[in-house]
Amino acid sequence: MASAFVFRRAETAEELLFDRSLRTRWRLGLDRALGWLLPLLFLVAIVPILDLVYYIASHALPTLTWTVLTSTNPYDPDALGVPILSTAAIMALAIAVAVGLGLFGGVATAEFLPERSAGWVRTTANMLVGTPSVVLGYFGYFLLVITFGWGLSFLAGAVTLAFFMTPYIFRVVDLAYSSIPRPIREAAYGSGARPYQYVLRVAAPIAFPQILNGVFLALAIGVGETAPIVLTTTQSVIFPPTVFSPVTFLTGTIWENFSQPAGSPALALAFQAALLLMIVVVGLNILVRVISARYQKRLEGLYQ
Amino acid sequence: MPDPSAPVASADREPLPRPSPSGRSPRARRRRPYGSVVGRLVPYLPAAVPAALLVAIVLELVRSSQLTNFGWGFWGSRWDPPDAWGIATFVAGSFLTALPALFFAMAIGLGIAIASTSYLPAWITRWLDPFVDLLAGIPSIVYGIWGYLLVAPYFGTVINPFLYRHLSFLPGFGGLPPLSDGLGLPVGIFILTLMALPITTLLIRDALRSVPRDLWEAGLGLGATRWETVRRVAIPYGSRGILSAAFLGFGRAFGETVAMAMVLNVVASYPANAFGSTGTMAAEMFLSLDSAYNNSQWLAALSEMALVLLAISLAVNLIGRRLIAQIVTYDVPGL
Repeated sequence: MASAFVFRRAETAEELLFDRSLRTRWRLGLDRALGWLLPLLFLVAIVPILDLVYYIASHALPTLTWTVLTSTNPYDPDALGVPILSTAAIMALAIAVAVGLGLFGGVATAEFLPERSAGWVRTTANMLVGTPSVVLGYFGYFLLVITFGWGLSFLAGAVTLAFFMTPYIFRVVDLAYSSIPRPIREAAYGSGARPYQYVLRVAAPIAFPQILNGVFLALAIGVGETAPIVLTTTQSVIFPPTVFSPVTFLTGTIWENFSQPAGSPALALAFQAALLLMIVVVGLNILVRVISARYQKRLEGLYQ
Repeated sequence: MPDPSAPVASADREPLPRPSPSGRSPRARRRRPYGSVVGRLVPYLPAAVPAALLVAIVLELVRSSQLTNFGWGFWGSRWDPPDAWGIATFVAGSFLTALPALFFAMAIGLGIAIASTSYLPAWITRWLDPFVDLLAGIPSIVYGIWGYLLVAPYFGTVINPFLYRHLSFLPGFGGLPPLSDGLGLPVGIFILTLMALPITTLLIRDALRSVPRDLWEAGLGLGATRWETVRRVAIPYGSRGILSAAFLGFGRAFGETVAMAMVLNVVASYPANAFGSTGTMAAEMFLSLDSAYNNSQWLAALSEMALVLLAISLAVNLIGRRLIAQIVTYDVPGL
């Protein structure tokens, strides 16, 4: 008796197609409402980004001049020339060390290790990515600054940053070599290539764009990192640094100046450094996406 | 003549040779593929770099701390630098900021992922999805300066008083009125939500996209609405991926350093209420290394805090990655 009220089956085709029951209207209404409401959640991502960019830019641009960007005069505290050049120098050394540490491991993992060992190695690389950056900063501080006696220096900062970027390079190289189509590998080995010939002559040209991509990505991640570099170097006003001299870094400049009083030139400098950092990071990210989209097309072409 | 292919267990037949564990015959197993033993071990050398770095990190932290402080006092809540080294307040602070942030990031990320996989047409998501990726690319110190100078005063003058006025009957929301500088848990949770959001969104999106097309179409074909298909088919199918998004998003929020050092008023005490402030492990480590450098006991306590932070982060990360076969998206920091 009661079930007749709960499940009233449609008797005719018309009733089935034009079902006006409360339950059906609720189901369709909920679906339609969610179709309007869920996309609104994108605003949670979009509004902060636009607000952040506008806020940083509106505080950085009024006092931003060419001299601010290029002056390396150590007696001019409100210029970014020294931080910019020092950041470029640190990143150059750090990426070189990171590629040196990560490239060969990535190739070896993708090409020469048995699947089980490769899985373990990938797990360690993933764990290193999951290590909080402040812990890496402590590692750099205790090992390089104190135990090795390098002091708070250019070298210590760059090598710590390199440790931070190594797993990213490692994983990208591994992925690039693993995603080369299997027939190409089989053709190379089948026609008598030695492993090194396959790695260098056959696979490298195919994997190169993705590896380059990974390098840009690692640069973007590394240049925005604060904790490892602030813990292992101190500020300096002189460029060029020597290997063991203190050195300044863009994120370090922001960290030093962010709590200065409103309207002061030092705070404006922090905003300018932040704006520059965002332009570099977002630019590198866009570059990565463009390369990656092109590479995907090329890789698909290889299958034909 | 018995059929040789039939399964026979008679006593007069010789037992079949057991297959070797590797699946090949014993003779094939003895044959080496190519090269010498040394030659086959060489690739392990560069491949061990990440493992070596991890081991070196742990050993260096153990060496610099000598594990002097581990004991009852270390897990206590009194942190008073020259005298007492109890890290409980910082552990609690890390969880109190990361867990609510994870909750919001999962809820919003689930909504965005559902919208972009099953409601919006492709030409719109092509323009909207990059904003979420962009959120991941912004350096944490830029979040920090924005949070400290713009968001925190806004929380302090508008949002916190509003919440205090209307929610003070709830446990944890009453008590001391919020301060007007706004530095504290709400703004910290807000910033951490933004930082964890890209990771949760991308992983949930990947999980929902991995649902086979047949299942979507079966759900819709049976007369379920899009929402019912997502709710009853796609989310159960991708539940492991969604769970891993929670773990990895938590790992990101838990280890965040600089932004928290800027928007929290880092103190070694439990927050008085939801609007109070506290310290996280990462922020405290970052801020007090300078003052600790010539006090070996202080350095030891901080190194041990680093070990605790590392252990929790790695455990969370490992669980999150074990839940899914492979992460599709590689171009996000911390993923």
